[in-house]
Amino acid sequence: MEETKFEINGLEDFAVREHRSLWIDAWRRLVANRTAMVGLIVVVLFLLSATFAHFFWDYEPKIDLDYGAKLLPPQLIATEEVDIHLFGTDKLGRDIFRRTIHGGWNSLRVGLVAVSISLLVGGILGLLAGFFESIHMNFWESFILMTLLGFALGMLPAWIARQFFQAILFALLGAGSVVFDRYLNGKKKHRLYIFPALGAMLAALPGLMVGPMVALVCGVVGLLIGLLLSKPVGGELFSNIVMRIMDIILSFPSYLLAIAIVAFLGPGLEKGMIAIGVVGIPVYARLARSAVMSVTQKEYVLASHAVGESHSRMLFRHVLPNILSPIIVQATMGLANAILSAAALGFLGLGAIPPEPEWGAMLGDSYKYLSSGAWWAVLFPGLAIMLSVLGFNLLGDGLRDALDPKIRL
Amino acid sequence: MGRYILRRLLSVIPTLIGVTLVIFLFQRLIPGDPAVAMLGERATEENIARIREQFGLDRPSFLDRDALAEGDLAGFFDSQYSRYFGRLMRFDLGESIHRRIPVAETLKERFPATLELSLLSMSIALLIGIPAGIASASKRNTALDGVTMVGSLIGVSMPIFWLGIMEIMLFSVFLKWLPTGGRLPTGVEIQSITNLLLLDSLLTGNFAGFVAALKHIILPAVALATIPAAIITRMTRSSMLDVLQEDYIRTATAKGLSLKVVLFRHALKNAFLPVITIIGLQAGSLLAGAVLTETIFSWPGIGKWVYDSILGRDYPIVQGVTLLIAIIFLFVNLVVDLSYAILDPRISLE
Amino acid sequence: MDGLIKLENLRTRFHTEDGVVNAVNGVSYEMAQGEVLGVVGESGCGKSVHALSIMRLIQIPPGEIYDGKIWFDGRDLLTLDEKEIRQVRGRDIAMVFQDPMSSLNPVYTVGFQIVEALTLHTDLNRKAAKEKAAELLSLVGIPEPKKRLDNYPHQFSGGMRQRAMIAMALSCEPKLLIADEPTTALDVTIQAQIVDLVIRLKEELGMAVMWITHDLGIVAEMAHKINVMYAGYIIERGSAQDIFKRTKHPYTMGLLGSLPKIDEAPGTKLFSIPGLPPDLVRLPKGCPFFARCAYRKEQCKTEMPPLEEAEHESHIVACWRWREIQAGEIQ
Ligand SMILES: Nc1ncnc2c1ncn2[C@@H]1O[C@H](COP(=O)(O)OP(=O)(O)OP(=O)(O)O)[C@@H](O)[C@H]1O
Ligand SMILES: [Mg+2]
Repeated sequence: MEETKFEINGLEDFAVREHRSLWIDAWRRLVANRTAMVGLIVVVLFLLSATFAHFFWDYEPKIDLDYGAKLLPPQLIATEEVDIHLFGTDKLGRDIFRRTIHGGWNSLRVGLVAVSISLLVGGILGLLAGFFESIHMNFWESFILMTLLGFALGMLPAWIARQFFQAILFALLGAGSVVFDRYLNGKKKHRLYIFPALGAMLAALPGLMVGPMVALVCGVVGLLIGLLLSKPVGGELFSNIVMRIMDIILSFPSYLLAIAIVAFLGPGLEKGMIAIGVVGIPVYARLARSAVMSVTQKEYVLASHAVGESHSRMLFRHVLPNILSPIIVQATMGLANAILSAAALGFLGLGAIPPEPEWGAMLGDSYKYLSSGAWWAVLFPGLAIMLSVLGFNLLGDGLRDALDPKIRL
Repeated sequence: MGRYILRRLLSVIPTLIGVTLVIFLFQRLIPGDPAVAMLGERATEENIARIREQFGLDRPSFLDRDALAEGDLAGFFDSQYSRYFGRLMRFDLGESIHRRIPVAETLKERFPATLELSLLSMSIALLIGIPAGIASASKRNTALDGVTMVGSLIGVSMPIFWLGIMEIMLFSVFLKWLPTGGRLPTGVEIQSITNLLLLDSLLTGNFAGFVAALKHIILPAVALATIPAAIITRMTRSSMLDVLQEDYIRTATAKGLSLKVVLFRHALKNAFLPVITIIGLQAGSLLAGAVLTETIFSWPGIGKWVYDSILGRDYPIVQGVTLLIAIIFLFVNLVVDLSYAILDPRISLE
Repeated sequence: MDGLIKLENLRTRFHTEDGVVNAVNGVSYEMAQGEVLGVVGESGCGKSVHALSIMRLIQIPPGEIYDGKIWFDGRDLLTLDEKEIRQVRGRDIAMVFQDPMSSLNPVYTVGFQIVEALTLHTDLNRKAAKEKAAELLSLVGIPEPKKRLDNYPHQFSGGMRQRAMIAMALSCEPKLLIADEPTTALDVTIQAQIVDLVIRLKEELGMAVMWITHDLGIVAEMAHKINVMYAGYIIERGSAQDIFKRTKHPYTMGLLGSLPKIDEAPGTKLFSIPGLPPDLVRLPKGCPFFARCAYRKEQCKTEMPPLEEAEHESHIVACWRWREIQAGEIQ
């Protein structure tokens, strides 16, 4: 007895050590990768300059104006008339270097917020979808899901007949389906008769109080709902619904959807963040789902399931640590993408509102006087976008190689 | 084969309905009364009511439960959405709010411009991306591979609007070699057959027209091709690397086949499968990237049009173009699946 | 019998992240025409790598054949240029691999893949090659060969795929067929069929066969000579009689000791020598079997024993103590 216990402890220790050394190995591989280190340096520089500028270098975009110094080319040495302008000035005489550095803060903010939105919403949805798709639900999970499903579906006849209690009736029907399956060992054939009939009755009888047509329509709807509820669905249904919605989001090209969302919300940096975040949701959902499914197929997870470990414990102990590395890689690349999209929105005039220093918006108003030959006004903000995006991409690429040497993209 | 296509087509329908729902909801959620938007702020109550009725704006969004309560089953289903859907079935995308021209009509006019630009960009992307990916994979860990990988990463990181501006700056403003925008210079006419100018000018033997059209299209096409080219390069490389590890590649080499034959006959066909998926996805983002590119180069396609319409809050246009793009995207993915099935004998078509 | 191929001090290594993997460490032997050679040893002892080195199929980098000579037809295969070695591959030396599931290209028909080998090394035109391919398929015992030519690999069963691989390997009537564990992935009855098939074909075509395997039973049945490999070395070599009846090396004894009894199914897990083979990145200075050997002494730790003759010319062994063990002086 004592001995077996000891062995198990030893094994666990081993697993933990294994895990830790995996991360250390990954870090070593990352450091050995030259391009990844270039990426890391660019990213760190970008982070530092953006934060330092924001906190220690005052800048008031609303009063930054100097018509006297309009459209000056880069000026490396101060003369009597003009100050140093490393990157030149724009059409309002604003120092482009200063605005570019401060613009970094906005890009950073957009990137972080947008990725957080996508990651949180998409990650959680994908996690749940993948988890419930591959692991059987226990009684209570299935009970809750079916009750909610019944309620949601019941809203339709309830709305049609203006009788809210119908939704509750259908919630009960959903719960009943689970109980029927579990405790009454209901036969499939019986279920197929009982539940549609019950559903039709639950909807049609109250509907009669409103009118015969209402009763008819509600009856048909109730019948269909009953049919749906007759088999207590597992997690596949949840997963299917989530992934289908993701498909729909994905069938709009990403820029266009972001533009459309901003058009609806109105311009502004914060709106841009939300739009970009929403557009990114499906990527994380898919990633998380497939990562979860691949983890839950592994023997040790199946074993822990067989032993009866609770689902939340499994999620935290086995699944989360294992899907961390693809998520880290994707989030790094996602930051790059978010910065790029935010700049695109800014450029189109749908992102940051003008005096605010934002790289895309700076490009957007400089390119209108392109013919004057003021190349510096477009070169530097664009370069800033490209370099920071490149930095995150290089880093993400290196992270992928470091964290999972098998996958290459 | 026919069965497979049919099944695949049917599976698109739920997604398509979802897409129309989203687009419809999008319009409903936009603040403000569309009738007021159409007539302007100073419209009379009467006029507004007339317009609302004419466009069915007085109907409920999805289902009319009041009609049902009165026993009117047809009325129950007669809603804004069902009308919208019915119009879509008749290819009626509505009218531009500002210009009162049917959206479908302008679409017919403008879509070829975007199509031409996208096709050219995709061709450029494929012509660069696939050879670069193959070369990079077969010379793994050499200088060539390194340059290709860094280059493609720069490509992926490229803000194409900036690239477009820099192109204009260099080739139009400083060097004055190429025009800054538009599709054709004034005075040049190309007889329209397909409305793809490059093709039409060739078909009609209009060489001057071809050169003029090419000069206009080349900068936007290159800008638009950058990201797909980079992504295709990376995907081709990684897919090739995977395939080159396979046992059947060793079998092929053990037969005594040359490296060239092994690469191009045995590896490429297998490696191409995942690349096709990526190409399909890129086709969608090309259409979206067109919004940026067309805006910069004043290209008279649907990208610039939809952008202008968003700014002008001309929603029927936005809805129509978005729907079109989503449908094209779904369709391209269908083609991708089909070509998968054709290229990979393991996928049975029955 | 005339000499067919002669290996002299072949050494192959791999440069990996964890260091240099010394996979083959000076292998020398000779094969006669029409000879059947069995190569046995635990997993990871360099059997496949040494065979791939003969055909120059080692990927460079990370691999490197850094020493030795392989004499074949009066030429050293290791000095041939790309074009010349391609002439040898498939025509003079052909190979059948372990996993028939992944060894055929899934996007081409079986017929195409056989015809490809035929048109490459013979002057048959496509049509004639196709007929020859059908003949080959029927030779390896695939029914309805004409129809089967147009099948894709996934339409074949595992055993049929391996037959097709053999047909492909035999297509140009090679002088040497290297079979690298061709039956490991197949189930038992099919294994026996494949072995019989190769023995039959060998008789008919008169080629030499190198049979790499874990399964000593198969080798005992068919091999003229057996190489026992360990950690990239040949540690004992001799006729089947020598190896099975007059075993010299403790490692070989270990292998034989773990031979399955008659009533067990062949092909099941065989080896049960305690411990693990040495890490090929940090090979010990002395005998590689030292750590697991029951008869070890101090000398074994510091000096690698040379291959020396035991009893007669063609039975050689690399062990300091084989004489003492033989004489029963130590237990
Ligand atoms: N491409 C490679 N890179 C690094 N090491 C390799 C490579 N190929 C083989 N090795 C190493 O060379 C050693 C010998 O491998 P080999 O495949 O020859 O073993 P084997 O005797 O054929 O084993 P098995 O019976 O399992 O097939 C192994 O330790 C293996 O790890
Ligand atoms: Mg092997």
